[in-house]
Amino acid sequence: MSKRALIGVTVALAFALGLAYAVRVAAAEGSELLFDSGWFLVLVAPFAGVLAAGLTERKDPRVEGDKVLRHDGAAILEHWTHGIGTAFLLASGIALGFLFVPSLLGGGQPTWAAMNVHFVAVIMFLFGTFYYGTNTLLSWHRFREHLPTKNAFSFTAAHYGHLLGIKKYEMPPEDKYFESEKMAYILALATTLTIIVTGLLKVGAHIVALPAGLMGAATLLHDVATVGMLAFFLAHVFFGAILPMSWPVLRSMFTGYISVEQAQKEHAGWYARLPRKSDASS
Amino acid sequence: MADNDIKKVEPGEHKEVTRRQFITGVGGVGMGLALGGFLVKGFFLPEEVFAVPASEGYLLVDTKKCAGCETCMLMCSLVHEGVSNINLSRIQIIQNPFGKYPDDIAQQQCRQCPYPSCVDACPTGAMHVDTANGNIRTVDASKCIGCERCIEACPFTPSRALWNYEDKHAFKCDLCADTPYWNKEGGPGGVQACVQACPTKAITYTGELPVQSDVGYIVNLRNSHWATINFPTD
Repeated sequence: MSKRALIGVTVALAFALGLAYAVRVAAAEGSELLFDSGWFLVLVAPFAGVLAAGLTERKDPRVEGDKVLRHDGAAILEHWTHGIGTAFLLASGIALGFLFVPSLLGGGQPTWAAMNVHFVAVIMFLFGTFYYGTNTLLSWHRFREHLPTKNAFSFTAAHYGHLLGIKKYEMPPEDKYFESEKMAYILALATTLTIIVTGLLKVGAHIVALPAGLMGAATLLHDVATVGMLAFFLAHVFFGAILPMSWPVLRSMFTGYISVEQAQKEHAGWYARLPRKSDASS
Repeated sequence: MADNDIKKVEPGEHKEVTRRQFITGVGGVGMGLALGGFLVKGFFLPEEVFAVPASEGYLLVDTKKCAGCETCMLMCSLVHEGVSNINLSRIQIIQNPFGKYPDDIAQQQCRQCPYPSCVDACPTGAMHVDTANGNIRTVDASKCIGCERCIEACPFTPSRALWNYEDKHAFKCDLCADTPYWNKEGGPGGVQACVQACPTKAITYTGELPVQSDVGYIVNLRNSHWATINFPTD
C-alpha cells in the first residue's frame, strides 16, 4: 500500500471510529458530552495540523509525460480532512437547529449524539484547516493562486458564456483554479475563519464562564457563517463532483493527476507556466 | 528548488532556524502542552466536585386546596413572557379527569433541588445557580443552545425545566427573580406571582430547605375555614 493510501485509510478509520464512539457514548446513562470530557482535543487538533505541515515535503505542480501533477499528497490530505469535517459539521449542526431552523432531533439522546458527532467533526475540521493554513504560510504562492485576479469577471463571463454556446466567447486561459472558483474561495475563507473563531469561543464556554452577550453574538455569527458555508459546500459539491465535466478534476483529488489534454483545454494559462519533470523541483 | 523545500545545513554553515523549523516546533510544543495539560488534569489533579449552594427559596403546594383553575400558570407566563399562555408557564397543573380527589389534580412546581441535575447537565452554563439572586436555579437564555439536556436531566415528570418553543431556549421557575412584565420585587425574599394570584392560596413560599420528598414540598395549607365547608383539613 502506498504511503498516501496508508495515511488516507488511517485518517478515515480514525474518523469512523470517532463517530461510532460519539454515538455510542451518547447512549450511556449520565455520560458527559465530548465537548466537556474531550475539550483538550480541540487544542490538540490545530497543533497537530501545524506539526504535520512542518513535517510535510511538498511537490509543486508539473508536467510528467502525458499527465500533469495538479495536487500533491498534502493537498489531497488537507482537502479531504477539511471537506469531510465540514460535511459532518454541517449535517450535525443543521440537525441541532440554528437561526430560524428548528432542531430536527428530539431531545435527549439524539441531540447528545449529534453534539458528539459535531465534536468529532470539529477535530477533523480543525486538523485539516490548520494543516492547510500552515502549508499556505510556508508556501505563500499557494495562497495567491487561490485569490481572484483582475480578470475575475471577464474570464468568468467568457468561460461560462463559451460553455453555454454563446459564439462571441472563447475559453479564456484559466489558471489552476477558475476565476469563478477563486471568487467562491473568498466566501469559503471568510466563513471558515468566522466559524473557527466563534466555534472556539463556544468550546471555551464549556471550560470557563464567558459573558452572555459574547456568547449570544458568537452563536449568532456561527449560525450566519453556517449559511455561507452551506452555500459554498453545495455549490462546490455540485460543480466539483456531480457535474460530469468535473469528474476528471474530481479524480485528481484522489490521484493527484489530470491529463495534459484536460490541463490544456481547461487551464491553459496554468499549463503554459508548468515546468516539465526533468527540469522541475521535486 | 521550491521555496518550501526542507533546507539542508552544510558542515560549518551557520545554523539558523528556518520558518519551517519554527512552525514544526510550534506544532510540537503546542501538542505537547495540550496533551500534557490533559494528563496532569486527568491523573494528578483531584476530581472535580460538583457542589452548589442550596437555594434560599422554595415553593410549597397543597394539592388538596388546588381548584385546577390554572390562574398560577396564566400569571406565571404573563409576568415572565408578557402573554397568558399555559404552554409558557413555569409551574404546571396536571389534571386527571378520571382521578378521584385529591389525586385528580397535581401541582408540579420546580423544587429548586439541592443537587440540581439540570445545572449539572447543561454543557454551556446556561442553566446555572444564580448566586446573586439567592442561589436560584435558572436559565441564561442567551447562553442556551437548545440541546434540551436540562429537560432530559430533570428527575421529575413533567420536567421542571421546560422548552420555550417561541424563543427557542429552555426556561424554568426562577421564583420570579426576573419578571419584566411585573413591577414587584421577586426572587428569594420577594414575592412570587403564582403565590399572589392563587385564589385558594394553594401555593406558598418558604426560605427553609424542605424535606427532599413529596412530603417536604406538598404541605397542608388549609385552615379551619376549610372544615366549615366540609373540606378535609388533614
